[in-house]
Amino acid sequence: MEENKILLKTKDIRVRYNKVEAIKGVSLEVAKGSIVTLIGSNGAGKSTVLKALSGLNPIVSGEIWFLNHRIDSLLPQDIVKLGISHVPEGKRLFSRMTVLENLKMGAYIRKDKEELKKDMDEVFHYFPKLKARINQAAGTLSGGEQQMVAIGRALMAEPKLLLLDEPSLGLSPLLVLEVAKIIREINKKGVSIILVEQNAKMALQLAHFGYVLETGKVALDGIADSLLNNTHVRDAYLGG
Amino acid sequence: MDMTLLLQVTLNGLMLGMIYIVVALGLTLIFSIMNVINFAHGEMYMLGGLVAYYFSEQLQIPYMLILVLAMILVGVFGIVVEKFFFRPFRGELLPALIVSLGLSMTIQTLTLLNFGTEDQSVSTVFPGMINFLGALFSKERLAIVITCIVFILSLYLLIQRSKIGCAIRAIAEDREAAALQGVNIDRICSFTFGLGCALAAAAGVLIAPVFYVNPYIGGLPLLKAFIIIILGGMGSLLGAVVGGLILGTVESFGTLFLSVPASNLLGFIIIILVLLFKPSGLFGHE
Repeated sequence: MEENKILLKTKDIRVRYNKVEAIKGVSLEVAKGSIVTLIGSNGAGKSTVLKALSGLNPIVSGEIWFLNHRIDSLLPQDIVKLGISHVPEGKRLFSRMTVLENLKMGAYIRKDKEELKKDMDEVFHYFPKLKARINQAAGTLSGGEQQMVAIGRALMAEPKLLLLDEPSLGLSPLLVLEVAKIIREINKKGVSIILVEQNAKMALQLAHFGYVLETGKVALDGIADSLLNNTHVRDAYLGG
Repeated sequence: MDMTLLLQVTLNGLMLGMIYIVVALGLTLIFSIMNVINFAHGEMYMLGGLVAYYFSEQLQIPYMLILVLAMILVGVFGIVVEKFFFRPFRGELLPALIVSLGLSMTIQTLTLLNFGTEDQSVSTVFPGMINFLGALFSKERLAIVITCIVFILSLYLLIQRSKIGCAIRAIAEDREAAALQGVNIDRICSFTFGLGCALAAAAGVLIAPVFYVNPYIGGLPLLKAFIIIILGGMGSLLGAVVGGLILGTVESFGTLFLSVPASNLLGFIIIILVLLFKPSGLFGHE
């Protein structure tokens, strides 16, 4: 990849999680405008990588570069200002707050009121169901709707890079398809995405590029299509 | 039983309840976002009373101005205390609790050295009584109730309607998720701690003319505030308001029918019952 097309780059990052080294030297690259997926089994370190990128789980060594900024020593609140929005595992909505308040929290760093209104409308364009629920406490929504609020909240920060952690978890097959469609739409609008998924098939079908994580290391990487046809990936992650 | 007496007792209960609520709101607010049980909170109330005594008796500044000054001074003091004593222990319940106990003793002793143990009285700001449906109620107590209501409503609006209030609620629910939205956790915690201390100081200023001021007066309202937030539910602002009204009323009727020490017991009986039957309190989460 040429340097100026790279949005995010990690160099040999190591991360401890609960005192155990969960990430043992991972180097990734995300090209501008692309969808990159991290697949792997439970505990392979996928979520930990995302947490390192958004600053929730600081790295022990290595470097993380986002555009021209080295971000590995920044706090989460400063990283989001640079344009990385993280939809964490388990959605992590403010469940006692309304849907509207959740979306407004997503736009916490922004001051442009006019644009904000437009982006709010865009969120309702992606997720029309939410519009009827704006004054409802987020905790009272269904799992699918909560996922929509979580993605919507992240979009409200106007990210350049969206980190999605298991957006399909706990959703019905129909909803998974819908979420996949929306992820593609968001990407078409120019937002790059890192997608962490257990559902490796969906992830590889959506993504342009993929990394297979095994016990904290990159076991395999490549164009998503080629990974879909890779025998090891097929056996281990696509159910043969 | 005489109706006017009942009314009078209720109004007195209301005043006490309001003061307790204003102290408890700060305490529960600080707990909800920092997971810190601040035993030094009563000292902020005491410092408020102290400021009231100095400014009104020694310098004769108008009382409303004293209220504002005390809130600013104690609020800033709270911000400094948070930065140096609580920030390193944020989210760690036990260490923070011990730090706060030590802080409480330190503030008390320092006050004692400079102020002495004598009770000092602060002269009343609104002399005279009001006849309300036959019950006599001092104008001073009425002013206290109204001021407290203004504080409670303002806090409600701040928490529910403002951006900073939204951030406070977000941190209370999920600190990491709040940080991911770009909330500066340190700044909001510092603001909230200062605000809580300022509220305690306000209560101390308001009640100073009714009672008296000495370095130990912080203990009782702190205890009452704990009873209230256990009754209402830890971290719940609505719970603190309802809990305060209940405790104020119960105590003031207790004084009527029982002795003062016995009525102080009632609060603890309430706590025991709450912990037995609804440990999360009336409006607690989980």
